[in-house]
Amino acid sequence: MALCSARAQAAGTPIPHGTLELISEKQWIAAGHLFDVALHFELEKGWHVYWVNPGDSGEPPRVTWDLPAGIKAGAIEWPAPRRLGTSTIVNYGYEDAVTLVVPMRAEASLASQKPVQIAANVKVLVCREMCIPGNGQVSLTLPVKLQPPPANAQSTPFFAEARKAWPRPAPASWKFSIAQTNDSFVLTAKLGRKITDATFFPVAESQISNASAQTLVPTAMGFTLTLRKSDQLFKPIARLKGVILLSGDKAYSIDVPIGVPGASGP
Amino acid sequence: MKRSTFYLMLVAMIPMTIILCAATLLLAAVKVGELAPTFAATASDGKTYKLADYHGKYVVLEWHNNGCPYVGKQYNSGNMQKLQKQWTGKGVVWFTILSSAPDKQGFVTASDENSYMAKMHAAPTAALLDPSGEIGHLYDAKTSPQMVVINPQGIVIYDGAIDDKPTTDVADVPGATNYVSLALEQSMSGKPVATPATRPYGCSVKYSDSSH
Repeated sequence: MALCSARAQAAGTPIPHGTLELISEKQWIAAGHLFDVALHFELEKGWHVYWVNPGDSGEPPRVTWDLPAGIKAGAIEWPAPRRLGTSTIVNYGYEDAVTLVVPMRAEASLASQKPVQIAANVKVLVCREMCIPGNGQVSLTLPVKLQPPPANAQSTPFFAEARKAWPRPAPASWKFSIAQTNDSFVLTAKLGRKITDATFFPVAESQISNASAQTLVPTAMGFTLTLRKSDQLFKPIARLKGVILLSGDKAYSIDVPIGVPGASGP
Repeated sequence: MKRSTFYLMLVAMIPMTIILCAATLLLAAVKVGELAPTFAATASDGKTYKLADYHGKYVVLEWHNNGCPYVGKQYNSGNMQKLQKQWTGKGVVWFTILSSAPDKQGFVTASDENSYMAKMHAAPTAALLDPSGEIGHLYDAKTSPQMVVINPQGIVIYDGAIDDKPTTDVADVPGATNYVSLALEQSMSGKPVATPATRPYGCSVKYSDSSH
């Protein structure tokens, strides 16, 4: 892959069965500007790391930032995950490689004109048949200048690729609703066309039974998807928030209120 | 009404509170609140153990895989052994269950397991060999170390994680809330189990069809 060769000279920090790299999109930092950095995991074939909700086992990478005063890290932008696993144990994660983009903010008060170091300690569980916990220490030193920072040419395609994997907001014209039975949530989607392939990924743990098959029924205007409730779901929940993956590659963020059992739908 | 739900309501009326009863009505295929499925298995000590023989006692089931770092966290810190000694000392029956398939991580022969237990000073009542995954599937065990607590009436009163720190870090053991001890303490003092089910964190159980 061209992306890999372009980055071949950048040495990744070893983690179990792979490497971890911290990459900056911009060439330098300017006070009062936003900038993105990325944690890029390259794994040996077949090994995986986890999404924010890891599913039935595992855990997501956990990042502890070590930042100079005046720089603040935002939350990880999680790419749409895939279902991994078997008929009885299902995980949500990424095989072979993944890029986690993290937005950063340089406050207006950032006084330093000297280069600053952005460092992260990443605890990560890497699994294939077995799981190996690892720890990656990565850092970047970036100059601080007054002018707005230009993109790092080498990183640009890389960040563009990473952003393509993010779930997009679902278009406003799409309508979602959720009804529930004793043991399932039934997600109804009206997207204006028939959908024959959809998978839901819940952001929160213990809401749906991960390993249960998600039963899709295509409709003229979209689909219904039956999601079995988790055995660990002890309290009623008001909404299901997550990612819906259509046709295996188009991912959208959804956050849908759950109808009260027995009440008729809208 | 499903038979299991009906049964659940019956049993919930006696030892459990109305809170659990109401909550469980929202559930699907719950195991908590239901009769624990019976099994018989050969242990690493060569004896056969039947769950039915322990009616009248509390029983803890501990899913084990000695190669799993989440299990390693509990054993290397001495926490699991401490729990085993503490609770078997109070008359609780503790079964360590080995559901790894023969070609998978965590599969052990009886003598491997006996050496491991001697080395680690583990003290369960018995380590049950389940290479077919039969007991694991019966309880729908997803991870090691998944934990199940069964009360003297044979009802599952806890199913899930060992504690509230889903990490592999030994440093997280001392500050963790142990759900197994909580369930046993609360149930033994006649209280409802406040947290009867959690997500059982850890490594996936290495069943024969498992690729992850």
